[in-house]
Amino acid sequence: MKRIVITGVGCISALGNKTSEFTDKLFNGVSGIAAVERVKVFKARTKIAAEVKNFDAAEHFTATQISQMDRHSLFAIMATREAVADAGIEFSPSLAERTAISYGTGIGGQNTQDEGYYRLYAEDAKRLHPYPVPKLMPSAAASHISMAFGITGPSLTTTTACASSAHSMGVAMMMLRSGMVDVAITGGAEAPITASSFLAWEGLRVLSKDGCSPFSAKRGGLVLGEGAGTLILETLEHAQQRGAKIYAELAGFGMCSDAHNLVQPLEDGMARAMKLALKDANLAPTDIAYINAHGTGTPQNDPVETAAIRAVFEDHADNLLVSSSKSMHGHILGASSAVEAIATIAAITQQCAPPTMGFIETDPACDLDYVFGQSRPQKIEAALSNSFAFGGLNAVLAFKRFG
Amino acid sequence: MSDEITQQIYSILCENAPKPPGKIDDDTELSSIGLGSLEVVETVFDLEEKFDITIPNPGESDEINTNFRNVGDVVSAVKILIELET
Repeated sequence: MKRIVITGVGCISALGNKTSEFTDKLFNGVSGIAAVERVKVFKARTKIAAEVKNFDAAEHFTATQISQMDRHSLFAIMATREAVADAGIEFSPSLAERTAISYGTGIGGQNTQDEGYYRLYAEDAKRLHPYPVPKLMPSAAASHISMAFGITGPSLTTTTACASSAHSMGVAMMMLRSGMVDVAITGGAEAPITASSFLAWEGLRVLSKDGCSPFSAKRGGLVLGEGAGTLILETLEHAQQRGAKIYAELAGFGMCSDAHNLVQPLEDGMARAMKLALKDANLAPTDIAYINAHGTGTPQNDPVETAAIRAVFEDHADNLLVSSSKSMHGHILGASSAVEAIATIAAITQQCAPPTMGFIETDPACDLDYVFGQSRPQKIEAALSNSFAFGGLNAVLAFKRFG
Repeated sequence: MSDEITQQIYSILCENAPKPPGKIDDDTELSSIGLGSLEVVETVFDLEEKFDITIPNPGESDEINTNFRNVGDVVSAVKILIELET
């Protein structure tokens, strides 16, 4: 089977507008969660989020582009520009045909929808701008990437809630393994910070009002984030032919469904997805040193994910370092898995586990080593990145050190 | 305990229950009438709308228990909140 490697990464989030800022803050435990600045939250009781800061679209895009793109598509292009430049890849017409785009988003154009509804219902508008339809469609970001880089191979969007970009990376990997393409631009983007989104998540009783504290007792829930992560995947053969630098190997992918509940996680489904990823990567549980957890900080997720990790890793679970980078970049919904994949790859290249921030007090139901408060140097030959979406859609990626 | 507010709460719980009961009382376990976590969230929303109250998340308030197990837990929290917010 073809081996798949990561040769470029790009990332925009509350931890900064490029990957070097992201990893710097990630390993130093600097949280991007703060009072919401960009949007009016109306009657929402939640006033915090992990917003992208210091981002003026006009510095990076033309007026026409801004008019035609929702905020999540702008993020997708920002992250993809960085990833393509990082990979040092040039898309000749023949390579462009042999390149896929597999990009995730949980919602798509949330900001565009909110703006349109406000004009319609609050301002009683007689007409709406013509662009909301192509701006808010969940596949918009994939189309914009295709147009921006002249990619003429297969392009598609995966939308599986909070596992969207894990599935997008998994699908990209399968396309590469099958021989359909040689290169894939993959990852995901999300911009869900709007008043309607806040109120809806509050209604589900999973939104924290005071911070994100994964795996702690008295954790108050998740904090919404925004941003995008893009990874350039290639077959090992193609990467070596062009002399590309290689960050790590994407060695395995496991996905399954709970068939259980729209919002309640299930230990068995999480455990099966981890086992499937290990099997696909031909790794033993004892090969794994680090897990970037789904770790939302909700009362529901964290003990169930802990139990699932224990079920899969048995005695080795106590040797694992497990952390939730959502404690710093927030829950970026459909872009989370992509941003967290970049965090996991950074953990491998830097041989260091990023911390879980926001520790309050010990939860007896969460009894693994969560690297609270400070990153920790660690020999990491292989790592997992977990994503467990609403509706019981589980996706786990396995990464291996290269070389 | 069959005052008007209690009856209204019973009625909202029954409307949201996937397994509609013949009758309920304060001792009825929510799970016994099919109210799982998602259905409870929806019921909480309906109660907030009906009585114009804000029900805290479980564990959020030291004074009001909103970690609902049975019908009586819901009735008692809603009545305290109505009292506080009027």
